[in-house]
Amino acid sequence: MNKYAKITFNGLIQNNPTFKLMLGMCATLALTTSAMNGVGMGLTVTIILTLSNTIISLLRKVIPGSVRIPAFVVIIATLVTIVRMVLDKFIPDLYEAMGVFLPLIVVNCIILGRAEAFASKNPVFDSALDGLATGLGFTLALTILGIIREFLGKGSLFGIQIMPFSIGFFSSAAGAFFVYGICIAIFTAIVNAVSLKQKRRKALNFAAPFFPRR
Amino acid sequence: MKQLVVSAPPHLKTPRTTKRIMIDVVIALLPAAIMGVVLFGLYALLILALSVLSAVLTEYVYEIVAHKAWKSPSYFLDFWKGFDFTSVVTGLLLGMIIPANVPWYLPVLGAVFAIAVVKMLFGGTGKNVVNPAVAGRVFLFISFAAMTAYPVGKDFGLFAVYAPDNIVTGATPLTEYLAGNTVQVTKGMISNWLFGFGMTGCIGETCKIALLLGYLYLVIRKVIKFWQPLLYIAVTGLFAVCLEGFDFTAFLPSVLTGGLLLGAIFMATDYVTSPKSNLGNIIYFVALGLITAGLRKATGIEVVSFVILLMNIVVPLIDKFVPRRPFGYVREKKAKEVTSK
Repeated sequence: MNKYAKITFNGLIQNNPTFKLMLGMCATLALTTSAMNGVGMGLTVTIILTLSNTIISLLRKVIPGSVRIPAFVVIIATLVTIVRMVLDKFIPDLYEAMGVFLPLIVVNCIILGRAEAFASKNPVFDSALDGLATGLGFTLALTILGIIREFLGKGSLFGIQIMPFSIGFFSSAAGAFFVYGICIAIFTAIVNAVSLKQKRRKALNFAAPFFPRR
Repeated sequence: MKQLVVSAPPHLKTPRTTKRIMIDVVIALLPAAIMGVVLFGLYALLILALSVLSAVLTEYVYEIVAHKAWKSPSYFLDFWKGFDFTSVVTGLLLGMIIPANVPWYLPVLGAVFAIAVVKMLFGGTGKNVVNPAVAGRVFLFISFAAMTAYPVGKDFGLFAVYAPDNIVTGATPLTEYLAGNTVQVTKGMISNWLFGFGMTGCIGETCKIALLLGYLYLVIRKVIKFWQPLLYIAVTGLFAVCLEGFDFTAFLPSVLTGGLLLGAIFMATDYVTSPKSNLGNIIYFVALGLITAGLRKATGIEVVSFVILLMNIVVPLIDKFVPRRPFGYVREKKAKEVTSK
């Protein structure tokens, strides 16, 4: 696997911020009552994450190590303020739905975490790709959670009523934790099964010359 | 001639198995369930049956999937040999704490949630953190509006067919009393409360006499300790009296209406989800009573199931700080004095 494919794979699956690292849970649990909110939140975070990773990576030699966190927060806060104003002007519905969680993206641990762990050490293009991949992984997770919770809790998908029957439990906070836990379990099981298969195949390939088949 | 049996200890086995205790609980629940069917008609029987059946089936399916029974087909039958009746108790209890005019799928959903999520995912019998039946009821309560409309007992006869529009629903006497309407406590009122005639409520909780019969049976069979439910009920009643400004007419309505008796006798005393030591049990039941009376006053709705759920979560903490005296352990204080002399 080349370097860029590895970064993408890492952000989307191997280090998926929601299902693997369990970062940014507050917004995840609160905003996934509907699929549309999940997509909106995910894409907003993706944009901010990509931009902040790029800028921080550009400035990584200028920022001294002792004040890096305040510097990161200033950069992220500026970006969040800009995105907030844009959303308020052009997509007021989403702005209303996200409420307090939009300004709280400033202290979102995914963004700070990627800045600290990746962008402050790697070149610009890698950092931008990492931000995009991690953001898309976040969006993927939020969309899955949102679809499940909206379908079971309201009987609709992306705002379109599908069935008249609904279980209100899944719209509540308790339902959010329940669906989140089940999703983590399924995701981990799938990833483990796939990686186990790959390991076995590698081991077989490695051992094949020593045990020739008759 | 029979050979001598060679086996590892222990050699004496008590007949008090989980299965036997659970069958005792089912027997103790039966009078209230029968009275529920008498009061609310055959549709109540359908709800109870659906609830029990889906609870047992859920456990069966879960165990089959967990054991991969298709690889060793003998497990399909082995399950029933080792079957303890815990899921029957859960299903029956769940059916008894939902109103009689709910659609048929509600007890099924509640039982599946109670068994699959609350019991089996936490490790099965004896490992659940909260009481499955209570959790099932709370799950239904926050999901469906039908759970808050209680039909009037004796209103739609034994053979009435389910027709939600024809059923008179009303506030339970408890909610009426909590809303501030003065309840005239007369002899006829008390007997109505005790037998459940003309009362609104869930299937199993309206007939208090049947619940008390079940309580007596459980105490005689030594399944529960007699003081545990009494402590819960007394503390609830007395604290309600205190909250009303020492108005002692508040005692009977707060004790004899709502789901307090059912919750105190059958759900709060569950072995798995109550503390192990005696002192811990006292703390547990007093806290249950205080929170029940306080929250009833504050919210104006019946909260027994929520309070039991809340205290079940606290139980591991109580067990940690009030440890159980080990079997055969004598306090060290006296022993030390003897050695110092």
